[in-house]
Amino acid sequence: MVASYAHPEVLVSADWVEQHLNDPSVRIVESDEDVLLYDMGHIPGAVKIDWQGDLQDQLIRDYIDAEKFAAICSRSGIANDTTVVFYGDKSNWWACYAFWAFKLFGHEDCRIMNGGRKLWLDQKRPTSTEVPHYRPTAYKAQGSYEEEIRVFRDEVLAHSKAGKPLLDVRSPKEFTGEKLHMEDYPQEGALRGGHIPGAKSVPWGLAVNDDGTFKSAKELYKLYEGEVGLKPTDDVIAYCRIGERSSLTWFVLTYLLGYPKVRNYDGSWSEWGNLVRAPIAKGA
Amino acid sequence: MSALDALVSELSDADRQERIELLIDLARNLPPLPERLAAHKDATHRVEECQSPVYLFVELEGDRVALFADAPIEAPTVRGFVSLLVEGLSGATVEEVLQVRDDLIERLGLPEILGMLRVRGLTGVLRRVKAEVTRAAIARAATPPAANGQGAASSHP
Repeated sequence: MVASYAHPEVLVSADWVEQHLNDPSVRIVESDEDVLLYDMGHIPGAVKIDWQGDLQDQLIRDYIDAEKFAAICSRSGIANDTTVVFYGDKSNWWACYAFWAFKLFGHEDCRIMNGGRKLWLDQKRPTSTEVPHYRPTAYKAQGSYEEEIRVFRDEVLAHSKAGKPLLDVRSPKEFTGEKLHMEDYPQEGALRGGHIPGAKSVPWGLAVNDDGTFKSAKELYKLYEGEVGLKPTDDVIAYCRIGERSSLTWFVLTYLLGYPKVRNYDGSWSEWGNLVRAPIAKGA
Repeated sequence: MSALDALVSELSDADRQERIELLIDLARNLPPLPERLAAHKDATHRVEECQSPVYLFVELEGDRVALFADAPIEAPTVRGFVSLLVEGLSGATVEEVLQVRDDLIERLGLPEILGMLRVRGLTGVLRRVKAEVTRAAIARAATPPAANGQGAASSHP
């Protein structure tokens, strides 16, 4: 068991970001649950990319296509070789989700700012309400890591039947089926409650500290290997309700622990809980 | 034109960015809870449809509704919407509140800036306001005017 992150360069500190505010090879991207937060003040020079309004297709339940993704990058001043640093509210849930979506389109250099928006504000670092304009780039979406990091329902079913590691990162009550949605969140239309058979309940929040930073490598290994029993060679699938919380778990397992095969099931419970004849387990 | 109608027309006439700024202004300008209510931020007054801790208090002053609310500034969307309801519905009659159409959020043009997933929680806030106003009206109908003659009914303990 090693006591440091597997890919520490992917997690940058607020100090690092503050030192690179004017670095043309770096673009800071804010991605939040509450879409108004950016306009109330953001890291100077940061652009807003909204997981819902920008990255999701507005008609089909899917992500935008490579062409639209390239257009978003271009207008945000992101070139193919730009270091893109994501941060946001809610312990970086949505930042991780945007990071994951950028990987779907094969963007190479993505990072997360540890602690996210809250820590930046708590430390009284500079903010701005000015929306920056960058010279459009000639971004070209280059391939995709979709196959490596995203999984669809049929494969999830096979994975469940094969007894391979499946992590349910929702709250304990969503896992048992007592609740159909996150505590205090609006019901988002799942008809049945429970979890995918064989899934282990490992709420996403166990991986982060109260200040929004990620737990230490030692604590993460203790949790995922010591308590959950994962091994680095495992083929792991994580899911939640719409794939946002599980993209944080995906980030932790892939980059902080260095697991080579972790996929996010973004259909998650809002798909599974509505699928006709999909097997469901209830209770703890 | 009612206060709420005025807000609806202001927001629906605004472009996307202006709408965002109006909502942020509303969020910033939500009046703090009166001290006598601030002590009652408990489960009874929490709007459970909302992901953020939103507290709502409805009182009747004569035949007029008085609305008080609290929501964290870190959740400006819901705080802005709650502030809009406080500004738009305080001083309205019970009937006027119950007649607010459920498509208010669409008429404000909020789905365009927030997306459909985010507006669902807001629908719950409007529903809750109506339910609390109904409850306060029923409570008043069932209780004889108070001895001090003010006749105010309240939904908080």
